[in-house]
Amino acid sequence: MNHAELINLLFCLGIMLLLGRVLGEFFRKLKMPLVVGELLAGLILGPSLLGKFYPELNQLIFTTKGNVGMALNGITTISVVMLLFVAGMEVELSIIRQQGTTAFKSSLVGLLIPLGLGFAAGYYFADWLGGKGQHDGKVFALFMGTAMAISALPVIARTLMDLDLFKTKIGMIIIAAAMFDDLIGWILFSVVLGMIHTGSDQFEFLYILGYTFLYAILMLTAGRIIINRALPWAQRNLSWPGGVLAFSFGLAFLGAALTEKIGIHAIFGAFIAGVAIGDSVHLNEKTRDIIHQFVTNIFAPLFFVSVGFKVDFIKNFDLSIVTVVLVLAIACKLLGAGLGALWGGLSFREASAVGFGMNARGAMEIVLGLLALQAGVISEPLFVALVVMAVITSVMAGPMLQYLLTGEMKVNVKLRDILPVKEGE
Amino acid sequence: MSNIEKKPVYPFEKIAVAVAFSPNIEAIIAASKRLQNIFNVSILFIHVGNHDAAQETYLKELITRFAFEQNNHEIIWETGDTVDKILEVCKARQVDLLVAGALEKESLLKYFLGSVARKLCRRAKCSILMLRDPDLLNKPVQRIVVEGSDHPKTVATIEAAIYVAKATHALAVDVIQEEDPGRLALIRSDAFTDNEADNNREKMLKHENEKLEEILSCTDCGNLKVNVERLEGKPGFMITKYAREHEADLLVLNSPDTKLNVIDRVFPHDIEFALADLPCDLLIVHSRTDD
Repeated sequence: MNHAELINLLFCLGIMLLLGRVLGEFFRKLKMPLVVGELLAGLILGPSLLGKFYPELNQLIFTTKGNVGMALNGITTISVVMLLFVAGMEVELSIIRQQGTTAFKSSLVGLLIPLGLGFAAGYYFADWLGGKGQHDGKVFALFMGTAMAISALPVIARTLMDLDLFKTKIGMIIIAAAMFDDLIGWILFSVVLGMIHTGSDQFEFLYILGYTFLYAILMLTAGRIIINRALPWAQRNLSWPGGVLAFSFGLAFLGAALTEKIGIHAIFGAFIAGVAIGDSVHLNEKTRDIIHQFVTNIFAPLFFVSVGFKVDFIKNFDLSIVTVVLVLAIACKLLGAGLGALWGGLSFREASAVGFGMNARGAMEIVLGLLALQAGVISEPLFVALVVMAVITSVMAGPMLQYLLTGEMKVNVKLRDILPVKEGE
Repeated sequence: MSNIEKKPVYPFEKIAVAVAFSPNIEAIIAASKRLQNIFNVSILFIHVGNHDAAQETYLKELITRFAFEQNNHEIIWETGDTVDKILEVCKARQVDLLVAGALEKESLLKYFLGSVARKLCRRAKCSILMLRDPDLLNKPVQRIVVEGSDHPKTVATIEAAIYVAKATHALAVDVIQEEDPGRLALIRSDAFTDNEADNNREKMLKHENEKLEEILSCTDCGNLKVNVERLEGKPGFMITKYAREHEADLLVLNSPDTKLNVIDRVFPHDIEFALADLPCDLLIVHSRTDD
């Protein structure tokens, strides 16, 4: 990389972070996820707007080609690995276990029905939805099932916190069920990505499937025990927080490298490493907070802004696909998680609340979609539809939960919350 | 609802003691006598398994040696699965407290497979007291550590701990609230400003503190010194560590909401941290009405 390219890269990173944050904050004031603003920043800087009206400027600064493009690609890959590591840290196995049968039934049915319906839709309507045919369409179908099944834990946690429901029984049921669905969803998605690499070789596919489960089981059992012994040692003997951070991220990258090597995507290694480290009794709040802040405020925005560089959102916006994906996603989760909660003994209203709570897809859906796009499983219009669906399901979760659990529906945003306060006010 | 489900957690009116012909048997009988004196109750000795006349005589001798009177104890001999039989007797006889001796720590394999005492803890439908490495010394109970988590069962657990503390003339009761960093991390997502995250945390803690204060204000603590401590860390692990570091004599925890199995040892349930490495005697309070 030469002098000019380095300047280009640094300028690009700076603008991405700043615009992503400014727009993210704007949407946060509107009680929407930050990621909406970050996506919009990418949309503005990428081919959708800047590339359309000032193509030369867009290619000069926010290029996806050459050394700068390669470096940006490397940074966003590292970002997504770290993002999944943090997502893994948010999964608490003991919460899943302790929330009992209601949470288990909600998560199980909330996983199986979206998975089944998503698979069926992907299998029978692959061409219309824009799926790419691998393994006779099974890869695409499995991807659609997974995309319908996952939930966005941070969005759910925030919504529950805003509504003062975080520590209630229903809140913990939703959290536990979402955690379980995330865990299984990412394992499934890793299998999907593994299937792409194997082509039609059934033996190799089984080999990858076996390794996926072996890695997950080993990391969550023996790996957790070793981490539990090693973390106190790291905290005692290495400087704080540097030592523990290096230990944690080191393990995440090693896990990612290992899974990439055996044919599963790197994100899976990082995700499971995150679950194992996050579950340790020796990981204190400060360290957890530092890892979280570092990744979600620096690397996550870079990743989400970069999403806009890869796809022309305006050109690829197909209202019919967006509508179908949105309706399918909402119907799948409401039906699945709702029926599961009803089965678990909750009332119809509470079960509906569980359904709407788990319906929020958030940032993880976008990560899932982008990885599938890069792997050639889905088309650009479907990716755009998934992004729109992720944003809408996340935004509707709060008001719907509030309505179902308190009988009121307020958007709860005032103009003065968004506009800067003037002197003397 | 059966009679047993309506029964309050305390006072302990009937205590059952699981007896095995192990090297600890004398210490267990001695501890039973102490419990009888403290709570003024009749004791039910339960032995499950084959036994011969010599063993029967030996147990009766021990009971006589520790001055149990004829009308305030009973020996039940059973055969079959030890855990199932003991729990059956406890249910049939409406036992309030089951007492068993236990090792401080077991081998990894035995821990995962489950010893009798630990299986009883995981499955009992009445309160259970696990005596860690019981001995013949009459050690006074000085410090009791009790769970103060935000859970419906906590009311009964704290009340039972205070009841035991007063009966044993303990010096202090430490009520421990644990803050799970994993849950706190969830509310510290980037969707909140620093102030909002702090406010959320404050709001959550204030709510928990108010509930705990209400429990303590309703409980007659007498002259007992009650300290409330808030610890940051994994629930179950932190209170166990606290009990060990502060050399507590008794740790009092809520009973698990569901029957625990091997998965709860692989992905530890809060109570498993104490069972894996007992810091002191352990009382698991089973508030029957909350089930």
